[in-house]
Amino acid sequence: MVGAGGIGCELLKNLVLSHVGEIHIVDLDSITLSNLNRQFLFRQKDIDKSKSLTVAEAVEAFNYLNVKLVPHHGNIMDSDLFPVSWWSEFSYVFNALDNLEARRYVNQICLYLKKPLMESGTTGYDGQVQPIYPYVSECFDCQPKATPKSFPVCTIRSTPSQPVHCITWAKEFLFAQIFDETSTNDQSEADRANQRRKLESETEDKAEIENMLRENDEFNELRNIVKSKTSTKDSNFFEVLVNKIFSTDIERLLRIDSLWKSRRKPTPLRIESYTKALKELSAERSAKDIVVDETRVWSVLENLFVLQAASSALHERLASSESFISFDKDDDDTLNFVVASANIRAFIFGIELKSKFDIKQIAGNIIPAIATTNAIIAGFSCLAYLNYFNQITSSDSFHKAFSSSSTIFTSIRPNKYITSAALIEPSKKCPSCSHARGILRFSPEDLNNMTLEGLIQLIRDHYGFDDDISVILGKSKLIYDYDLEDNLQKKLTEINGFKAGETLLIQDESDALENLELYIDTNTSGKTLFPTLKLKEKQMDNDGENKDEDMPEQGEVISLDDDEVVELDEPVETRKRGKESLDGSSKKAKL
Amino acid sequence: MSLCRTRLQEERKQWRKDHPFGFYAKPVKAADGSLDLTQWTAGIPGRSNTLWQGATYPVTIYFPEEYPSKPPRVKFPAGFYHPNIYPSGTVCLSILNESQDWRPAITLKQIVIGIQELLDSPNPNSPAQEPAWKAYSKDKAAYEKKVREQAKKYANAM
Repeated sequence: MVGAGGIGCELLKNLVLSHVGEIHIVDLDSITLSNLNRQFLFRQKDIDKSKSLTVAEAVEAFNYLNVKLVPHHGNIMDSDLFPVSWWSEFSYVFNALDNLEARRYVNQICLYLKKPLMESGTTGYDGQVQPIYPYVSECFDCQPKATPKSFPVCTIRSTPSQPVHCITWAKEFLFAQIFDETSTNDQSEADRANQRRKLESETEDKAEIENMLRENDEFNELRNIVKSKTSTKDSNFFEVLVNKIFSTDIERLLRIDSLWKSRRKPTPLRIESYTKALKELSAERSAKDIVVDETRVWSVLENLFVLQAASSALHERLASSESFISFDKDDDDTLNFVVASANIRAFIFGIELKSKFDIKQIAGNIIPAIATTNAIIAGFSCLAYLNYFNQITSSDSFHKAFSSSSTIFTSIRPNKYITSAALIEPSKKCPSCSHARGILRFSPEDLNNMTLEGLIQLIRDHYGFDDDISVILGKSKLIYDYDLEDNLQKKLTEINGFKAGETLLIQDESDALENLELYIDTNTSGKTLFPTLKLKEKQMDNDGENKDEDMPEQGEVISLDDDEVVELDEPVETRKRGKESLDGSSKKAKL
Repeated sequence: MSLCRTRLQEERKQWRKDHPFGFYAKPVKAADGSLDLTQWTAGIPGRSNTLWQGATYPVTIYFPEEYPSKPPRVKFPAGFYHPNIYPSGTVCLSILNESQDWRPAITLKQIVIGIQELLDSPNPNSPAQEPAWKAYSKDKAAYEKKVREQAKKYANAM
């Protein structure tokens, strides 16, 4: 079971009470306060403890059937901790994860090892379980998943039109540049001198150089103030900050007339007009009273007040102990700073202000989690798994399971609380399961002594590639193709990253044979073993449909119109399938 | 993920087979002799009979892991003089913008041709830097002088 969170707690309870023989539980997280409302195996005393270790201990209280529990605290994608030999031990894999990357990884491993995988996920009332039988049913990657939207820099920096633009600006740009370590502004003197030389070689106009460098230097003054250890009491940090970001910068934007031809102009904030009211407010109330009011939208004055308090708190922290501060939705100083600055920017641009509660959701990428949905989904997950094991007496269990399993969805829509859809065959265009893959086990001797040229020759002979091939190691490292012969004479171990747990993607340059993906492993006892695979001919769509989509013909006209009309979706949406499959084709769940 | 890798290798293959005259594009070579397919350097020649002619302008193209769902980012050297290029060098172009005209079907060849087109046809409604934008809209002579100077800097070897 990968993941011991919302679904994981529910699922483990079910599995333990269903008398599963041995369960390994993997999670890299520790328990936090906000988990406790739904991750019912955790208690307040468990905060900061390992999720996997704690969950295994907690179910012992009702482990009447003596299920063997083996917790692992670690990242499932760590191939040193979890090598293929470890994965091979299991007869079934459950995903109870909250992120795409790990889901994809487990899906890949299950494809390599042909392990049945139960994929599950929830967002609010929406939930889904999808049994995956490698190469027989759709895998996790067969349906493209929506990735979170990113915003063009122009919209964020110059022309925001929605609250989320202002929040992104406050969090990713303003906060990061002033307080965080990973700021691109934090250049060394040498870098800056270098940049200046580069610019000076291009233009002699002094004023213009200054102008160009200005963008990079924008927050230097502010950073210098917060970095200097002067007492925060004497510092004018807040005044400099507010003047720069809400007045000077806005005026600069206003000078670019063409930005505002079809847009509402922003109104620079005059801090002078708030000074008196700000004083009165601070005499009357403490900022603490306002920041706890999370669901009410604060006034501009209140936002300024909160910004003042948050700036001063952050400044104080940098002056005393911390060398940088990263945004964290659970770090109230950082959240207050982002809430207040985002709201004031929104006010300037005539955009709706938001409550701290709303901004926390957006800035923290929080997906609402509902305990009931998790419980229902974990229940289906367990039932579908039991169904699978009632059938695996036959040798062709995946095909049998395929026709008797379903993808199941939950939702809040009337008459659609629970729906199911028959499993679908793998997509021919799937980037993961439409090509051949297997595990390449090197003898230690070969791994240490073989050259890349030797390996390529073996691969070509073994799988019958007539033409040249290309070899990509890991995510994006091309180590050999027709035009790249630098590495041929190198030993495999001399190529950075060539080690057990990595993958090789082999592509036929002439497109005759399908792509081949090899997982590198070691075979300590004996010879190097290539996986036995018969490569199919590459699927080339006769109707050219694929071609049109992936690599269009040349000569297509592309508009260069650069209007900044921006349409935005909700920021987070990892599940896409649910909605599609909930329509007409649904039928009763087969369990 | 896989789609990114296979597509980038395909782009490399297509580019080798056929690419527009005067352009170059290749993945960056790492110290160990391998190529990083997610980062390419490319050269964009200025069109003849324009202010930009006689030079090849260098860009770096960064492909995100979600490519081709998401577009690559294209950067000229910092401080590059053009109304639609940010002081950092980042190109502001609708086909490179996920929420505008980016489509996964757009090829590397189309991207570099699109940028070549942008050089001589700036979009005055989408300013990305002050100096070039101001000169372009208010002082054409000064703008042209600057562009010519820049062309000298990146002039093709004779």
